[in-house]
Amino acid sequence: MDEEDEEARALLAGGADEADPGAPAASRALPALCDPSRLAHRLLVLLLMCFLGFGSYFCYDNPAALQTQVKQDMQVNTTKFMLLYAWYSWPNVVLCFFGGFLIDRVFGIRWGTIIFSCFVCIGQVIFALGGIFNAFWLMEFGRFVFGIGGESLAVAQNTYAVSWFKGKELNLVFGLQLSMARIGSTVNMNLMGWLYSKVEASLGSAGHTTLGVTLMIGGLTCVLSLICALALAYLDQRAERILHKEQGKTGEVIKLTDVKDFSLPLWLIFVICVCYYVVVFPFIGLGKVFFTEKFGFSSQAASAINSIVYVISAPMSPVFGLLVDKTGKNIIWVLCAVAATLVSHMMLAFTMWNPWIAMCLLGLSYSLLACALWPMVAFVVPEHQLGTAYGFMQSIQNLGLAVISIIAGMILDTRGYLFLEVFFIACVSLSLLSVVLLYLVDRARGGNLNYSARQREEMKMSHTE
Amino acid sequence: MCGCGGLRWGWGHSAPSPMLLLSLLLSSAPFGLLGEETRQVSLEVIPDQSGPTGNLLHIRAVGANSTLHYVWSSLGPPAVLLVATNTPNSVLSVNWSLLLSPEPNGGLMVLPRDSVQFSSGLIFTRLLEFDSTNVSDAAAEPPGRPYPPYLLAEFSWNNITDTLDLATLSATFQGHPTWDPTKAFANGSLAFRVQAFSRSGRPARPPRLLHTADSCQLEVSLAGASSRGNRSLFGLEVATVGQGLDCPSAREQHSIDDEYAPAVFQLDQLLWGPVPSGFVQWRPVAFSQKQGGRDSSLPCQASPLHPTLAYSLPKSPIIRAFFGSQSNLCAFNLTFGASTGPGYWDQNYLSWSMLLGVGAPPVDTLSPLILGIMAAALGAPGLMLLGGALVLLLHHKRSSEYQSIN
Repeated sequence: MDEEDEEARALLAGGADEADPGAPAASRALPALCDPSRLAHRLLVLLLMCFLGFGSYFCYDNPAALQTQVKQDMQVNTTKFMLLYAWYSWPNVVLCFFGGFLIDRVFGIRWGTIIFSCFVCIGQVIFALGGIFNAFWLMEFGRFVFGIGGESLAVAQNTYAVSWFKGKELNLVFGLQLSMARIGSTVNMNLMGWLYSKVEASLGSAGHTTLGVTLMIGGLTCVLSLICALALAYLDQRAERILHKEQGKTGEVIKLTDVKDFSLPLWLIFVICVCYYVVVFPFIGLGKVFFTEKFGFSSQAASAINSIVYVISAPMSPVFGLLVDKTGKNIIWVLCAVAATLVSHMMLAFTMWNPWIAMCLLGLSYSLLACALWPMVAFVVPEHQLGTAYGFMQSIQNLGLAVISIIAGMILDTRGYLFLEVFFIACVSLSLLSVVLLYLVDRARGGNLNYSARQREEMKMSHTE
Repeated sequence: MCGCGGLRWGWGHSAPSPMLLLSLLLSSAPFGLLGEETRQVSLEVIPDQSGPTGNLLHIRAVGANSTLHYVWSSLGPPAVLLVATNTPNSVLSVNWSLLLSPEPNGGLMVLPRDSVQFSSGLIFTRLLEFDSTNVSDAAAEPPGRPYPPYLLAEFSWNNITDTLDLATLSATFQGHPTWDPTKAFANGSLAFRVQAFSRSGRPARPPRLLHTADSCQLEVSLAGASSRGNRSLFGLEVATVGQGLDCPSAREQHSIDDEYAPAVFQLDQLLWGPVPSGFVQWRPVAFSQKQGGRDSSLPCQASPLHPTLAYSLPKSPIIRAFFGSQSNLCAFNLTFGASTGPGYWDQNYLSWSMLLGVGAPPVDTLSPLILGIMAAALGAPGLMLLGGALVLLLHHKRSSEYQSIN
């Protein structure tokens, strides 16, 4: 998923956008809730924005929450099961470059959001129908359609946030949206299994129909998101009429030819990113059975521990963001995060220690990495290439997730969890290697990646003088 | 850096190997039975001169200074007798007329008698069937409403000679109920495939139990028989026989290693003697398809072992012939599958494997591939950190030297 992108924007936006003068105050007397220039109204908009992304985050991890049920009811092995995640990622390998472009130039933010929400809704419905008709290919197609909408919707959500809160409470808004995304994932992890058993009880038996109906009910969250998209479009248009505010733009300029100008540190950051994220999301996708089989957890406990990464990251992302902002030294933080992840995966692989320890560590390190890694891109790329760099980073991240999801499923079916964990450890280790290399390269080039916050401040001062 | 430290504790906890190695050493010393890397294995069907009455398969595994005798038989219920001797020259003597008499005591002997170091036996007495519909709790005991069990003593078995395979050192007992009014076994059979090993290794088929020359494998498979319910669970009643008065101790061993049996982290064991002198070992998994993939794996539950009285179980002539009528029997039930998930109903197929042997059960170790990947994965960044630190240090030193010249 690309909350990381939001994370990046959240951290970047703080510095860049504060100079905005703010919208002119509306002179007409309206109730606070209906007056676009008032805080109460903006809070309403914020609520809508948060729920705009809720559906897609909720449904993204539906397969993980129902792993055993999907595999039993659809009679698929783990390799095929993981295709559900791969199919989500495929469209985004390309779409990451064009999401911003589509919003800015083709649809506009309002229609863009509505259209992407529709994709999410329709995708989830197709996914659920695949269950009802017992057609796994239809489920895969559903995830593909869902993927088309999902990531671009995140971009749209960010754009709305910037357009409404620029120069006001933007960092807070990004933080809240991120937390909402995590809450969506967590609720999903802990709710879907229960929902499945309720549907099973009312239909009388388990089976693909039960699965389909459960997913269809889960799809209601997507409908909720679509309603939010419609409401936002209306409010945004109304605000434009009243405040003469412009329609939000992502402002992203993507030039694929920029790729050849990317520097070595940037490529290293890409490697870190891909190698790191593939050990978090595919692991969570496959984690539930691991916790029940290896550690003897009940199904509910396994769901709970599987969602702990999201739970921790919801409150910790803003905290770590602040920490990294205040201290600088991004590479060291990234190094810590990657090393902690390595330790956490080694605990899961080679010990019988209570996995809560390892998973909490993973949650903390994941939050820390997101806060420290994404802003580094801005230090190594000129500003006009930033959009391309982020687009590219997301794109190869999705590519990595798609490919590794499939590989992980295959490894699990043939070689088991220990080997899968060892494979993940190898990935983290590659990531660690890249961090060390990045540090050395940056050091050798006299780069500014590992500057402390004060050094950055001093550098900024000397530039402006 | 931190990785290397992690590796050490990682391996320390990887398997309870130090403990088991210790017990392996302890147990091998007095017996002189173990540590046989390879054994000369021969399979022999011992015929009854008076006519075809039942199968008697003698597997003789000769090592440098010990011999293991496995006697598998379908006289009465399928049963196996395991006798370990401390000489490479011990032999099995069978007195058929005594063996078939109502008091078979002494009909089966391993000579010389004083060479016998360890003996134990297993009897497979009943095939159980349960109706698992309306059972929501997967761990319920019993796992559903029981149907009348099939008595394996009342099965008729094939001629074992036809299935003897000297290349793989295996033979298969295949049987069906003699009296089958419902024609449940019209197209089906219950098979006990027995395989001996001349050296340690691991079969290609799941659950890929690690075996040594001191063990042999049994694969029980039920195929084609029509079940009495839509969602029938099958089970097996097994009785153990030993020299001592106590039942063998049951142990669930958890390991971190599921490389050979994906997502199965447990090994169930029955151990004879305080220091293991004999064992039965299996992974708590059964398969509902021949190829035994992960999508067809069923949980396998074992009930606690309890002492039982000889008359409550069908009599096994070979066990009584060797141990006498006063033998000490313990019984337990195995159940394959749960009310949800894959089951026998998928393809009317079920298979489960176990290992029977002397000494301590073999212990899985991390495969060289895993160790290799871990070494590379932790070594590379470690070296990089070290090298990087060194370069930076030298660089720093040189630049400070320059400064001092200036």
